[in-house]
Amino acid sequence: MENRIKELTSNAELLIANASDLNAINEVRVRFLGKSGELTAVLKGMRDVPVEQKPMIGKIVNEARDIITAMVEDKLAALTASSINSKLQSESIDITLSSKKCKKGGLHPCSIVVNEILNIFTNLGFQVKQGPEVETDFFNFQALNIPLDHPAREMQDTFYITDDLLLRTHTSPVQARTMMDSQPPIRIVNPGKVYRPDDDATHSPMFQQIEGLVVDKGITLCDLKGILETFAKTLFNEKTKTRLRPSFFPFTEPSVEVDVTCAVCGGKGCRICKGTGWIEILGAGIINPKVLDNCGIDSTIYSGFAFGFGIERITMIKYGVPDMRILFDNDNRFLKQFN
Amino acid sequence: MLVSIEWLKDYVDIDCTIEVLSDKLVSAGFEVEDVIRQADNCKRVVVGKIEKLEAHPDADKLQICSINIGSEMVQIVTGATNISVGDHVPTALDGSDLPSGMHIKKGKLRGVASNGMLCSGEELKLTESDFKNGGVDGIMILDSCYAPGTDMNEVLSTNDTILDVGVTANRPDCNSVFGIAREVATVLNKQLRMPSFEYKTIADKTSSNIKVDVKNTEFCPRYMASMVKNVVIKDSPEYIKRRLKAVGLRPINNIVDITNYVLMEIGQPMHAFDYKLLTSGEIIVRNASKGESITLLNDKKYLLDESICVIADGKNPSAIAGVMGGVGSSISRETNDIVFESARFARDSIRRASRKINVRTDSSTRFERGIDFGSQELGLKRALQLICETNSGDICEGIIDKVSVSLEPSIVVVPYAKINEILGIIVPTEDMVRILNSLQILTTIEGENLVCKAPLYREDIENANDLAEEIIRLYGYDKIICTLIDNGKQTIGGKTVGQTNIDNVKSLLVGEGMNETYSYSFTTPKMFDMLGIDKNDKLREVVTLLNPLGEDMSVMRTTLSHSMIEILAKNLNRGNKAVRFFEFASIYQPKSLPLTEQPLEVQKLVLGVLGENEDFYSIKGIIENIIDYYGVDATYTRPDTSYLHPGISANVLVGQDIVATFGEVRPDIAKNYDIKSKVFIAEINIDLLNEKYDNSYNFKAISKFPTVDRDLAVVVEEKVSAEDIISVATKYAGKQLSNIAIFDIYRGKGIEKGFKSVAISLEFTSYDKTMTDDEISTKINKIIKMLDKELQAKLR
Repeated sequence: MENRIKELTSNAELLIANASDLNAINEVRVRFLGKSGELTAVLKGMRDVPVEQKPMIGKIVNEARDIITAMVEDKLAALTASSINSKLQSESIDITLSSKKCKKGGLHPCSIVVNEILNIFTNLGFQVKQGPEVETDFFNFQALNIPLDHPAREMQDTFYITDDLLLRTHTSPVQARTMMDSQPPIRIVNPGKVYRPDDDATHSPMFQQIEGLVVDKGITLCDLKGILETFAKTLFNEKTKTRLRPSFFPFTEPSVEVDVTCAVCGGKGCRICKGTGWIEILGAGIINPKVLDNCGIDSTIYSGFAFGFGIERITMIKYGVPDMRILFDNDNRFLKQFN
Repeated sequence: MLVSIEWLKDYVDIDCTIEVLSDKLVSAGFEVEDVIRQADNCKRVVVGKIEKLEAHPDADKLQICSINIGSEMVQIVTGATNISVGDHVPTALDGSDLPSGMHIKKGKLRGVASNGMLCSGEELKLTESDFKNGGVDGIMILDSCYAPGTDMNEVLSTNDTILDVGVTANRPDCNSVFGIAREVATVLNKQLRMPSFEYKTIADKTSSNIKVDVKNTEFCPRYMASMVKNVVIKDSPEYIKRRLKAVGLRPINNIVDITNYVLMEIGQPMHAFDYKLLTSGEIIVRNASKGESITLLNDKKYLLDESICVIADGKNPSAIAGVMGGVGSSISRETNDIVFESARFARDSIRRASRKINVRTDSSTRFERGIDFGSQELGLKRALQLICETNSGDICEGIIDKVSVSLEPSIVVVPYAKINEILGIIVPTEDMVRILNSLQILTTIEGENLVCKAPLYREDIENANDLAEEIIRLYGYDKIICTLIDNGKQTIGGKTVGQTNIDNVKSLLVGEGMNETYSYSFTTPKMFDMLGIDKNDKLREVVTLLNPLGEDMSVMRTTLSHSMIEILAKNLNRGNKAVRFFEFASIYQPKSLPLTEQPLEVQKLVLGVLGENEDFYSIKGIIENIIDYYGVDATYTRPDTSYLHPGISANVLVGQDIVATFGEVRPDIAKNYDIKSKVFIAEINIDLLNEKYDNSYNFKAISKFPTVDRDLAVVVEEKVSAEDIISVATKYAGKQLSNIAIFDIYRGKGIEKGFKSVAISLEFTSYDKTMTDDEISTKINKIIKMLDKELQAKLR
């Protein structure tokens, strides 16, 4: 009896292993575990077993049933899984075909640069302030220490509308307006369009500037350098260094041009920086105390600095755009490069 | 400002390389924009002596020359006819560059090797006045004193290096060789040599020949004059001609050249009058009277008025002061005696006069930049010295000097601690004093203060900031360290709500597949006709530029639509068949015309789309998203916009205000832009939407009971709008209606012409119970009944 059960179990194991589909395994289940199956037949033969052997034989039979049942279920699970897999396999599609999404558009490259720059400065505690583009002579020139006979009017030719009204040549009028409206501490950046009558590969009659202004007690040239170096490291990379060179703007004294190490060659000298390793990116300086006084801020108590740069120029440097006019051309083939 | 190194060396020793000098000038605030090495213009051109001439075997017009260039003999084939054996000629060797731009290489001419070229004066860019035989038609024959092999740059004295130095507007004193020499002496720590001012005079006195009367001292605070008799008009010495040419001026004659030389060297514009042409020997500086006129050296006659100052004799204007002399008093071959003028004129008056008559000269440009009070005397004395040196005339004794201001330099007193407060670093006081003194700003320490006396030519030195700049530019900007507003108060940065809204709407539009454009604020006045805008429309009231770059950029736009349609047209034209664009920009609305105050600037957003998938509803979808962003409810009406299709356009209203107008551009308007396909544009008033912006989100409990959806389709006449159907359905659906939308419109089979089938989806939500089918059906039946009653809608 015992041998019979062992033989039966190993027969079942062989058949289960060879069963290749759900039908085959079902047949195996019925043959051994079914009502008239072989194992059931063995159980029925228990009647003939001597009483003292019954518990032992009963145990062996139950164990054999458990083993066969487990084997059948395992095989059943394996066959089900492989059948689903093969169905899914047959549904396979070309995943490289284009999607059904609405393709996203993009900001103008100059806006990308403006956003980056404003983010840097707002994080440093600067408020974004804007003002009118059609300005008065007073705010564009006189309040900024550019009186009627000042040589600085030589530097910037201006689009005039009337004797007194003009298209602002820089965003500095916003700074004058802010200083007249509020008292220190002032920390602002002024993005906006400005206008000058130039039109060539590196000049546009309309362009964007961002200027910044800080007025508080004890502001120094070192603060100016610190803020601008932080800015340059954020905009380009953390290895960027800045260099100050003396310059002249009537609005500031001392005035400086700020160069940064070329982001392309890291300062070694390349085509972009014309071999110098440095790129001039902005003008800045300590606010001329006459300007503070003009704008109602006591220059004996407060001092400050200001800086300004052209967005198009930085955009051209950052993205390697060779001609400024491309930025205003609005050809979709150019614009979508920045999506 | 072009500065000749040779000239500069008259006043300061330069023993470093040009690169080192340039770097030092740059770090002191003088940008060296260019370094021009004259010899680079003419490379590998040497003196050659013709040793032998033979006929070319295969060409009648060519000769084979054997040229001795000192180190060797070279063979050159030439077509020149004016040469003979023994002539010394400029010889361009293989690989040479000529001033004319030619590059010479060896080659064969009709089979005979030619290893260079013999040069004419023209090929070396010379004329007869530049160099002897420079103007000859043919090869330029040189004096035999020039040894074969000598570089032509040596022969022509073109070995100078010229620096193009950028001089900032606060330093007009550096618009001269001597001014730059002062800075160079400081940065190189060298002794500055003064120009020679020595000359002999005759007994005759300037003051017994001429009288000077300055009527307008505000315009002319200083006027100096000197008389030179028995003038000999002739060519200038070589060095003067050479230096003038080096800085781009054409030598004319000794007198004109001396005034130009002084202008370049000292920075003082000079003028020379012919004495006999000055009636009664008088020089009067005065405003012109209305109706007066003068013919200037350019042979043009100018009508004058009170705003223009002139130099007049007893009767008539002889010159427009500081701008240009009149033909009536100019120097000629017949001139015997001259009067030199060396004056300072107010720069704004010169600028206005120069603009008014539209004449700009070297002189007027200098006056506009500003001339210091020291230069009149230096300039005049230098001119007289050059007269003396070149034996050009007899100098009268004495100088007339009419000066109406104090020539004492002002004294600036500043606590030295203030300098360090500005800079943020501690500069030792002795360094401050040393630096300022090296700049001729005579400085001493008194107590806690720097006491500074700036020279006459440094009118820009007025306060502590000016001194701080002088100190740091020589102490070194590299000593400035980085700090982060350590003394300042904390501030909170950020953007206004309006600015943030624009950023957010931009993101939304980018998500809609749109690209941002960037167009000029000024445009053509023709835009109004192109857009078919009514003659009396307010849009035609524009801000106009006085000095535009062209008519097409002469008016500030009052609508963004024109620019956007132009952009769409340009893209279509370039084969970009499907585009979606947006742009944020201001429009400029005059409050009144003629303009007396700043116009209103309104921020707008313009959208433009084209492509086969675009229609009215695609642009409407974008607008709805913007409206949703602003948290407002909008209604739609038909606009009356000249350039939009009357049936396919809409105004978007929030309350009573039109916040946007959009639609298809009329085909006849599109044709004005050469557009043949359908394009859609929208113009949205962002300022207005920013005012209405509502970002309040109030929590509302979610119903515990499921929502129930029902669809229904009704047939209505074409004239019935979606909004009509929705408003009637909403009115009778009861308060449990939580959403309603039209999801399909069908026309065609089964629907009578002139009618359409409209499919509506309704969603009901109850907060207190689960709604039964009966309840819902009752509501739907009521809606159907009312749609029939009010809109004659039949259930489909």
